Amino acid sequence: MIKINQLYKSYGDVEVLKGISEHIKSGEVVSVIGPSGSGKSTFLRCMNLLEMPTSGDIIIEGESISAKGASVDDLRQKVGMVFQNFNLFPHKTVKQNITLAPIKLGLMTAKEADDKALELLAMVGLTDKRDAYPSSLSGGQKQRVAIARALAMQPDIMLFDEPTSALDPEMVGDVLDVMKSLAKRGMTMVIVTHEMGFAREVSDRVIFIDGGNIVESGTPEDLFSAPKHSRTRAFLSKVLR
Amino acid sequence: MDTIYTSLFAPIGDDGLIGGLLILEGLKSTLTVTFFAMILGAVLGVATTFMKMSDHWFWRWPANLYVGVIRGTPVVIQLVILYFIVLSALDVGVIGAAIIAFGLNSGAYISEIIRAGIQAVDKGQTEAARSLGLSQRQTMQEVILPQAIKNILPALGNEFIVLLKETAVIGFIGGVDLMRAGEIIRSRTFEAEVPLFTCALIYLVLTYGFTFMLSKLELRLKQSD
Repeated sequence: MIKINQLYKSYGDVEVLKGISEHIKSGEVVSVIGPSGSGKSTFLRCMNLLEMPTSGDIIIEGESISAKGASVDDLRQKVGMVFQNFNLFPHKTVKQNITLAPIKLGLMTAKEADDKALELLAMVGLTDKRDAYPSSLSGGQKQRVAIARALAMQPDIMLFDEPTSALDPEMVGDVLDVMKSLAKRGMTMVIVTHEMGFAREVSDRVIFIDGGNIVESGTPEDLFSAPKHSRTRAFLSKVLR
Repeated sequence: MDTIYTSLFAPIGDDGLIGGLLILEGLKSTLTVTFFAMILGAVLGVATTFMKMSDHWFWRWPANLYVGVIRGTPVVIQLVILYFIVLSALDVGVIGAAIIAFGLNSGAYISEIIRAGIQAVDKGQTEAARSLGLSQRQTMQEVILPQAIKNILPALGNEFIVLLKETAVIGFIGGVDLMRAGEIIRSRTFEAEVPLFTCALIYLVLTYGFTFMLSKLELRLKQSD
């Protein structure tokens, strides 16, 4: 579904991604872990071109997105993104946040978008908040709305950039539950996360990135219980206590 | 009391000029220039902002030059150069020239106000909108501008107050605005206090009134937060 070949990304002289190659299959749930500054968020953001790769190729459903002339806007409709800081539109209600893109892009009528929004809000358990403004929601509620907003575009892939890092601990569970149910429905997901328990429980595969490279990749059991690489072991010994 | 009477209500000089009426005339000029200069400035400001945000240097370069020159020189010089040199061949009149000069001046500052208002919107908003597949234009219209307007409007009101006060140099090109009216009365009556304090008071009432209206507006804008 997503093929990444020799992905490089530099900011000036600083090389953040040093030739990452990866293949994410349809329906696969992949967690990306690694120390901060390792390039894992940049890796994720390259997949919908919020960061432009310096070189390398990203192929989504057979189409190269980094090729010249590729329609970035069309690609992004297929790839949903959930941010650490939610980034809900504060001047729009919860429902308007969800319906904005499908209506503006002509994918749904206002009525269809409304129905879809209510269906998604039911899924994330926030039907009663449909007419509220984001400022009146808790962090966990905001993130669940953000997930619903991304899903309204009916994407083939969902990218999550540390979706629970900005949440109070008691809010984390609700968001992870929504993500688990998404995974069960067969959504292809790439999740940059610090929630090791979640990564272990939900992922089909875990990727450990350090220093701009994929150090190790494998099933959660293999990677967490029997990490092959010393850097993986060092990282895990710090985060798993 | 006598000086108030002679300064404002009695004929001063051989032409039978009455101070109070002259001040009203001056006030009319001040308000006319401020009002139309603000409109011209707003149009220029929006256009300049779009040029400055363009990807192409062909648009950015003249916009940057315009803002740089206007911000880097006193408005009095801009006014005098425009009236006596640039517009000297055209019959736009003193008030017309003042509107153009202050409009040009204000446009540069307003473009900076708009730019700052847009840049103050969190970058994550653009990222979220673009990640949903919205185009750059749709993102601007639907997500950025509605939020930027809340930053822009209060600063725009402030610019209006600054502009109103800055028009007090219209006398340099021979126009009779509020300030110049006071000066004429002072020079004819040899009484400084009454005409100058009267003018100052009128400026103060205008700016205070406007500030009050502005604070009401800001309160309403904050309601959706």
